[in-house]
Amino acid sequence: MSTSHEDQKREEISEQIDPFFKGGPIYRRPIFKIGVIWAIFTIIGILIALLLPQHIMPTNQSHEFSDVMNTVVLFSILAAPVAAVVWAIAAYSLVAWRKRMPDYNEPPPDGAPLRGNTVAISAWLGVSVFLVIVLLVWGMTVLGSQNQAQANTIRVNVTGQQWLWNFSYPGTGVSSNVLELPENTTVIFQVTSQDVTHGFWPVELGTQIDANPGFITYIQATPDKLGRFDVRCSQLCGLYHSYMYTHGEVVTPSQFKSWLRSQGASSSSVNGFTSINKTFAEGKN
Amino acid sequence: MTIAEAPLLEDTKLGPKAGGLYRHQNFGTGLATGIILGFIAWALSDWLLQGSNWGSDMVVTVTCVGWVIGFNAGIGTFNAIFRWTAGRDETREDQLYGAGVGQGWKRYFKYCTDHKVVGTQYLVLVMVLFGVGGTLAMMIRTQLLTPHNQWLSMQTYNAILSIHGMVMIIATIIMVSGPFANFIMPIMIGAKDMAFPRLNAMSFWVVVSAVPPILGSFFVGGIDSGWTTYAPLSVQTSPGQDMFSVTIITFVVSVTVAGINTLVTVITMRAPGMTMGRLPIFVWASIVAGTLGLYAMPAFLMAQSALLTDRVVGTSFYAPATGGAGWLYENCFWIMGHPEVYVILIPGVGALVEIASTFARKPVFAYKAMVAGMLGIAGLAIMVWAHHMFTTGWAPNLANPWMLTTELISIPTGIVFLCLVGTIWRGSIWTRLPMYWVYLFLWNFIIGGVTGIYLSDVPADQYFHGDMFVTAHFHFTLLGGAMIGAAGAVCYWFPKLSTRIFDERLGKVAFWFIAIGIQVTYYGQFWEGFEGMPRRIGNYATLFQPANQMSTIGAYILMAGWIIFGYTLVHSWMHGERASANPWHAKTLEWHTPTPVPLENFLVDPVVTSDPYGYGEPEVAPTKEPEPVPVGTQSSEEGAH
Repeated sequence: MSTSHEDQKREEISEQIDPFFKGGPIYRRPIFKIGVIWAIFTIIGILIALLLPQHIMPTNQSHEFSDVMNTVVLFSILAAPVAAVVWAIAAYSLVAWRKRMPDYNEPPPDGAPLRGNTVAISAWLGVSVFLVIVLLVWGMTVLGSQNQAQANTIRVNVTGQQWLWNFSYPGTGVSSNVLELPENTTVIFQVTSQDVTHGFWPVELGTQIDANPGFITYIQATPDKLGRFDVRCSQLCGLYHSYMYTHGEVVTPSQFKSWLRSQGASSSSVNGFTSINKTFAEGKN
Repeated sequence: MTIAEAPLLEDTKLGPKAGGLYRHQNFGTGLATGIILGFIAWALSDWLLQGSNWGSDMVVTVTCVGWVIGFNAGIGTFNAIFRWTAGRDETREDQLYGAGVGQGWKRYFKYCTDHKVVGTQYLVLVMVLFGVGGTLAMMIRTQLLTPHNQWLSMQTYNAILSIHGMVMIIATIIMVSGPFANFIMPIMIGAKDMAFPRLNAMSFWVVVSAVPPILGSFFVGGIDSGWTTYAPLSVQTSPGQDMFSVTIITFVVSVTVAGINTLVTVITMRAPGMTMGRLPIFVWASIVAGTLGLYAMPAFLMAQSALLTDRVVGTSFYAPATGGAGWLYENCFWIMGHPEVYVILIPGVGALVEIASTFARKPVFAYKAMVAGMLGIAGLAIMVWAHHMFTTGWAPNLANPWMLTTELISIPTGIVFLCLVGTIWRGSIWTRLPMYWVYLFLWNFIIGGVTGIYLSDVPADQYFHGDMFVTAHFHFTLLGGAMIGAAGAVCYWFPKLSTRIFDERLGKVAFWFIAIGIQVTYYGQFWEGFEGMPRRIGNYATLFQPANQMSTIGAYILMAGWIIFGYTLVHSWMHGERASANPWHAKTLEWHTPTPVPLENFLVDPVVTSDPYGYGEPEVAPTKEPEPVPVGTQSSEEGAH
């Protein structure tokens, strides 16, 4: 710990330091130039956040995927100004504060002996606490909305085994290696495994859950766009993990019913499939 | 007798029997004893266990344990314990022999207690491990150059990616804490050596004995469960898993011993006047990382021990059929796994702070906030592990608390960042090679940190978990952050380690290759992750081809960078320009002792009167003028050996 003697010395020095934020026309002050670099970095960051993810992410096929997309965009926009502060100061320091001495091996004269700045630390702390609260509230809100029981719900059993997926539709006797789902219907996946841990990941539905042997895990998704989607294994599960993928198809509810019948389900069980599972949905949560 | 005339400790003439058994032990005898004992263990267990249910696992485990014990017996790990037990503890002469007196270069191949020798040994070991891990990484990237590539079989591919992961984790855990917390940290606090020099030597040679089993696992079928070795897959996989477990258990012993040693050294061995408030930031970083390792690593030992008993004697900690649960393993693993990334990161950041202060010619900005930030990271790091398990289905109702603690950790991390940027703020930037790495860190770690925020959010993690986005994120933090810190530390402390300057022209070439290589490689992997490519697959759909090719090209650039870096290191070590004792005109204590550093580090015992960051401030006169005390005139009990 510094003695009072040292503190006194330091105070004297800090009084001698040239005012950094005052004097001269505003555009000549370093703080203004750093601000300009910061603004440029921030704008670039926000543009990337707004434009890039939708181009490189797969087709959005569910509410959950929209949540993922919105989260990525929002978090990137929030992070851009913070990252830009660091990068702007670093970039400016390399240009303006770099000292070249005639002798390469000789260090430049000492810089300003700044031992700390309560305002800077408090402001930084305040901003980061605020951002954490925003992130947390956003995350909790979205997660809460995803876990809500929906009126229009079906359940599908998902079973992983080395190295394929099996989907069965309880009550109908239908079992398939392709995940057929009706549009605009919330699906609760009841996921388990026969051997080792797998990761059930219907990619374009924007959600995933591990398939654990001996346990059933639940995840729900609401597909809202027709079309084919990928189902991959996201947990290393042994020799042919790389080949453990299949696909699914989001179809209209009437197509879905006729698909169930074509797989051998009786008409009564197909009609019962949705109504029975409504009560399951009410029972969950 | 003046100080200059006083004989150096390392020139002491020792009697012909000094050192006892140590005289006959070196790396060669360690290898021989290890192989012999391993062979005996294999022959005995094979004979005894023929036909039993878990025969092959038991045989492999016993063989590896035989090797580890044999190697350590052969190198001299157990000598002192037996001598002490037999009532013939080491004499001063034995201790000096143990510290390498009179052995020249041969002491680098012996059980040497001099912390500077141990640090140098660690540096060489880290380079070897990075060579192995990097080669495996290049094989992975080459396999991923084209979709549906048939170059590697899936078994080989899985083994390569698992061993790449664990070898790199071992290497990164010891990459700063090994060479620099051993070589530099004791000098920084004005100590003559570590608190427990023999344990220090042990911590190194135990790691050396831990490495062959994990590499040997290639020859018994490899492992196919990744470096995480999630159960129950790892319970069922080939006997390579037993060798992996033996490696981990042995390695944890080393990390624990090293962590205790670091902590006790800083608490008890500081020079007069070196108060806790004057410790260099790197010393704080070392003890924070050491303490965090003490908390984290035993959980891994526990997880792997239970895995080994599941495999070898048929317990059922993790086997679901008999009441176990893979979630138990996952929890134990990540209780280690998350603090461990900060064990890797914090010493690297500490080194970069020293560099930033020296090359901006400024005091460390907000010293106390920096220390508080590191302590805050360490404190929160032990409470965030389950964010690795958001999508495992374990305790979904706890998602919100885990999200809270995970996002909170960005606050102390931000403080550390602010202090690093504040140190550069209005400095006189001296752009020598070590400073380059500080700027690269500022760029990379922001990207690594921001991408971590997406993963801390449960709904987003439900997309990104287990895909290449995660791979890119943690490579950006561990390679782009921690390893860049280690590279900076090498360039910065190289003159003290090797007495020569790290060649800056070649070093800058390496720097640019590495800097660009990291961006290309991992932007490619972020792209793969956004597209939805799972981690750890060796065969992918054509959709992912452009992103993978970008990543592989980047990886080759990166490899070129590290090869140049390694070449520069070896070349400078042999032919580099001779360095003065303080080439950077820095103020920390290690620069105020001669180069090469004498045994017991100082010609005059240092007395500290201020913290080591007084750039731009007038010298504060000490309240009491210290008496110079020539080394060797003190009682020998005080000596560290």
